[in-house]
Amino acid sequence: MTDLVASFSHVSKRFRLGETHDSLRDLIASAGSRLIGRRKESSRSAFWALDDVNFEVRRGEALGIIGPNGAGKSTALKLLAGILLPEKGRIEVNGRLAALIEVGAGFHGDLTGRENVFLNGAILGMDKRDICNKLDAIVAFAGIERFLDMPVKRYSSGMYARLGFAIAAHVDPDILLVDEVLSVGDAVFRLRCIDRMNELLRGGTTLVFVTHNLDQMQSVCQRAVVIDRGKSVFSGPSREAVAHYLKAMSSSYTTRPTDIPSNEQDRADGVALVNLRCLDDADEEIVWARSRQPVRVEVELRVARPIPKAVIELNMRASVNENLLSVNSGRDGSTFNLASGLHRVVLNIPALPLSGGQYFWNLRIWDADSGTAKLDTPFRYPLVLDDGGRTNGVLCIAHDWQHKIETETHVAFPDQQALIAGRIGT
Amino acid sequence: MAEDSLKVHTASIAGVGSELVRYRQLLVSLTWRDIRIRYKQSLLGVAWAVLLPLSMMLIFTFVFTRAIDTSSVLKVNMPYALFAYIGLVPWTFFSQSLTGCVNSLVANRNLVTKVYFPREVFPLSCVGGAFVDFCIAMAVLVGLVAYFHFSGTWTFTPRTTLLFLPVVVAVQIVMSVGIGMMLAMANLFYRDVRQIAGVTIQLLMFVSNVVVPIPQDGSLLGRIIALNPMVPIIGAYRDCVIHGHLPGAGGFIYATVVAFIVLVCGWACFRRASYRFAECI
Repeated sequence: MTDLVASFSHVSKRFRLGETHDSLRDLIASAGSRLIGRRKESSRSAFWALDDVNFEVRRGEALGIIGPNGAGKSTALKLLAGILLPEKGRIEVNGRLAALIEVGAGFHGDLTGRENVFLNGAILGMDKRDICNKLDAIVAFAGIERFLDMPVKRYSSGMYARLGFAIAAHVDPDILLVDEVLSVGDAVFRLRCIDRMNELLRGGTTLVFVTHNLDQMQSVCQRAVVIDRGKSVFSGPSREAVAHYLKAMSSSYTTRPTDIPSNEQDRADGVALVNLRCLDDADEEIVWARSRQPVRVEVELRVARPIPKAVIELNMRASVNENLLSVNSGRDGSTFNLASGLHRVVLNIPALPLSGGQYFWNLRIWDADSGTAKLDTPFRYPLVLDDGGRTNGVLCIAHDWQHKIETETHVAFPDQQALIAGRIGT
Repeated sequence: MAEDSLKVHTASIAGVGSELVRYRQLLVSLTWRDIRIRYKQSLLGVAWAVLLPLSMMLIFTFVFTRAIDTSSVLKVNMPYALFAYIGLVPWTFFSQSLTGCVNSLVANRNLVTKVYFPREVFPLSCVGGAFVDFCIAMAVLVGLVAYFHFSGTWTFTPRTTLLFLPVVVAVQIVMSVGIGMMLAMANLFYRDVRQIAGVTIQLLMFVSNVVVPIPQDGSLLGRIIALNPMVPIIGAYRDCVIHGHLPGAGGFIYATVVAFIVLVCGWACFRRASYRFAECI
């Protein structure tokens, strides 16, 4: 028996933009204009969501699909699930497949939680006896015991999503497709979802996982495919895929701050941000850096109304609404005299000990005399850090491993050498 | 675990058939969902399955026997109320199936675009849901027949032709599924279909033998009405349940042939188009 459970070979998918007839009147009208010979150009309105994409999924593995927004990840998943048909190429699937494109897609608001479990289970391909056996586990996983006999239209959105995931997590298909659904629920629930996916993997399920969350992807998947603008740009070990993904992200940032509205640049408050960029130690502009490499953040300001004692603050965030970093010149004991004209302020950071990912800067300027904010930009100035996929989580700190055997037993661990060798420096 | 290998996009009828067998549980679940939803948050619940044709029967009985004098037209050799009820129940089944089907894909947009299973399940579950109502309403027919039998003006003699009833029902289901698939598919691409279907179904109820017998005088109108394949089917219900004889062969065979042609064509079109449902909906 083959080891491949799913394969995509040279798959292309086209969507038509606009020009779909929504009512019969439009159809008749367009048929009329076609008869007269004024046929509208239709090939121009086509959009290739996927273009010659190749990848394969092996039995029992977890494959991640990552890529920027609109890259075609979900389209790939829908093709795999059989919801869409490709224009070109060949898709093969061996085994029973369940797709979780959206949690609770088959829920009906008027039915109770219990009824929806049975309905959704059937939609995902479970039979009734199977659902009966797993009902308790599903309900416990979702944590909705008390609300089981309440119509789901009265559920909170969290309960709704948890129940949706819980059902899919108990389907036990040969292949489970999961599309960006773990952004629901609180941190505890998300961890439980990751645990459950790992449990399914150990049980022999093959997993295809689409996500933006690189940490989540890496904690589940050994291998990943990077899709960028409809093309598969990389396929291989997930930590190398992350590096490729980040590189793809940073190249899409190079065209950056031109879209800032001009009124933001000359505001009445008298200070405008002309440019914010990151530089390496050779003063070259970068949007992509290695973790723990020196980074200089250069801020260019145009001051119309002088601020004799200005405090400059730079904040950095990942995608979540929480500052990872906030440096404030006032707290460092220095203020700047911003007279009218063009200014350049540089923040030197010897190393950014953060793990790989996308980060965004914002700039705030305070008037120390009046204590009012003179400028507060959105978090839109990107910096992509690459740690070579060596750490997960938030920080990438210097570390090394030590090991010695205290008492010898007869069991040998062949992996110990690898553990000892796993040092990290820069 | 079942190691059934499936190429995602099977096009053969055999492949589709085995897929449908695999998803029969889902068909049952969706049918049951449609029934549940129809009678959720309603006081009378399933009683509506009976109340609807019953109230229609009362309206038509009042109109045709009290309000206007139509005795020259209504030669039905059974109590008119019974005539109307046994026409209205299969007709309600038919019209409910089709109005359900026409909307079935569009109303389940979420499932069509987010989950894969054979799309035939949607129209099939609509026909299934209407069938359950039909069975309940048919059960009430027994009481109605008993009432008229024992109230004295008319006597009912049960005949073995009753055994032919399942065949009649089957032909009607075949036709409903065929038309339903076409309508569901067409409405997905052009929402006008729903409006047109609604009006047409309403019209056909009167241009048929549902509430009045078709004119037997050989007039053009009578012959046009007889072209409607539902006419011999409705007639067949009356023949084998009340009159105690088999339906006229010509009409019933005509209806059966039409039903199967409609099913094959409807299903083939539905299959061909189903790959584009998710992007065109």
